[in-house]
Amino acid sequence: MQSPVKIWRNQKNIASLVGKTGTILSWTIVRVPPGDFTDQAPYPVVLVALEGGKNVTCQLVDYDEKHLTFGQKVITIIRRVMHPDPDGVIPYGIKVKPA
Amino acid sequence: MHIYVTGAATTQFGELWGVSPRSLARGSVLSALKDADTEPKTVQALFVGNMLSGMLGGQEHLGAFFAEELGFSVPAFKVEGACASGGLAMHNAVNSLLSGQYETVVVLGIEKMTDHKPEDVATALMGAGSEEERSAGATFPGLYAILARIHMREFGTTEEQMAAVAVKNHYHASLNPNAQFHNILTVEQVMRSSRVADPLKLLDCSPISDGAAAVVLTTRKMKRSIEIASSVVATDTLGLAQRKSLTELAATRMASDKAYKIAGVQAADIDVAEVHDCFTIAQILAMEDLGFCKKGESAKKIHTVINPSGGLKGCGHPVGATGVKQVVELVEHLRGTAGKRQVKGAKVGLAHNVGGSGATAVIHILKK
Repeated sequence: MQSPVKIWRNQKNIASLVGKTGTILSWTIVRVPPGDFTDQAPYPVVLVALEGGKNVTCQLVDYDEKHLTFGQKVITIIRRVMHPDPDGVIPYGIKVKPA
Repeated sequence: MHIYVTGAATTQFGELWGVSPRSLARGSVLSALKDADTEPKTVQALFVGNMLSGMLGGQEHLGAFFAEELGFSVPAFKVEGACASGGLAMHNAVNSLLSGQYETVVVLGIEKMTDHKPEDVATALMGAGSEEERSAGATFPGLYAILARIHMREFGTTEEQMAAVAVKNHYHASLNPNAQFHNILTVEQVMRSSRVADPLKLLDCSPISDGAAAVVLTTRKMKRSIEIASSVVATDTLGLAQRKSLTELAATRMASDKAYKIAGVQAADIDVAEVHDCFTIAQILAMEDLGFCKKGESAKKIHTVINPSGGLKGCGHPVGATGVKQVVELVEHLRGTAGKRQVKGAKVGLAHNVGGSGATAVIHILKK
């Protein structure tokens, strides 16, 4: 469930993850999405090993099919992750694009 | 002290649009009590395994809800651990008996999923994942697809081998009158089914189901009793990204290692196992992590019969009911009353119930 307070509280976590490079460990293409993502499907969800040792699960954007491969280099960026909540606050989060 | 299952029953599993959660609970619990030849008044506590009653049905306070329906005026609890809710409810019930607090309790596993749209069910099920996974728009088929792709790369597992799991489980389900599906599948049908989360296809996935299962547990040995030789829970990180290894579900390995020790058996002694095949790759991981075969060798012939009920894939997966249904199935085999799907001479059984993408694993070992 979305909440403006929760979105606000998460901003600093998101900011700390922007602009980091990493490599794709594995991926899928979600074709049957959860309710908040129906207008985006199909989309790739990738598991990324960031430099420095942290792994993240996020969407891959601005990609071609050739980028869906083990070891593909990617960089983290800020994107809107789903529709604005009913109060109009836009939920942003981390996605990756090919580096 | 020893703990015994004296009564066990499930409802039909499937798309039960005409049946309410109250009816499912009443059907399974009264059948289990009748099976145990026990009066309802002997029940001293009720443990309910359920995941989605709040998110989908708007009903929490399930202990009181079902106690009212069953006419039980006893302590009643909801136990939640995603798709391992049923197994966790079993574990809590066993512990309550071991503590000496009660002598006879009922465990009810129950879920009503098909009243709601698939997108809403997918959203609710993602409550079992991490916030990061939800923000990514991941789904459970998607998370297991990520594990499947790593397994394919590391061990050469193929999509056809995964499809063979669904084919085998549907065959078993065809022999189980309470199963959701009775149709035989072919590898080609699985391979041709629509893609859900590549490389997983529709027929690699367990269905959305309604159903309930119940057992009566006591500290006194009675006729037809089956002993619970061990009940163990292990917990791993909630999200996949935080895991140390992506080629196993470590919680399964940790819980089963301990469960074998407590029960005094080894993997090779298990005659019949109900394992958590929410997706075909999950059964392959389970067979390895439970020690039935080495990594990448699940296609080899083994002693243990896996998922005679049809598993989650063929029998159906009402998430909170599954962990209890697995125990009901084992009881049938150990008693020798499983009909056409009877595993001949079964003496030791294992139930393996997983929550989320492997954050929770529950193992029960049963002995004749």
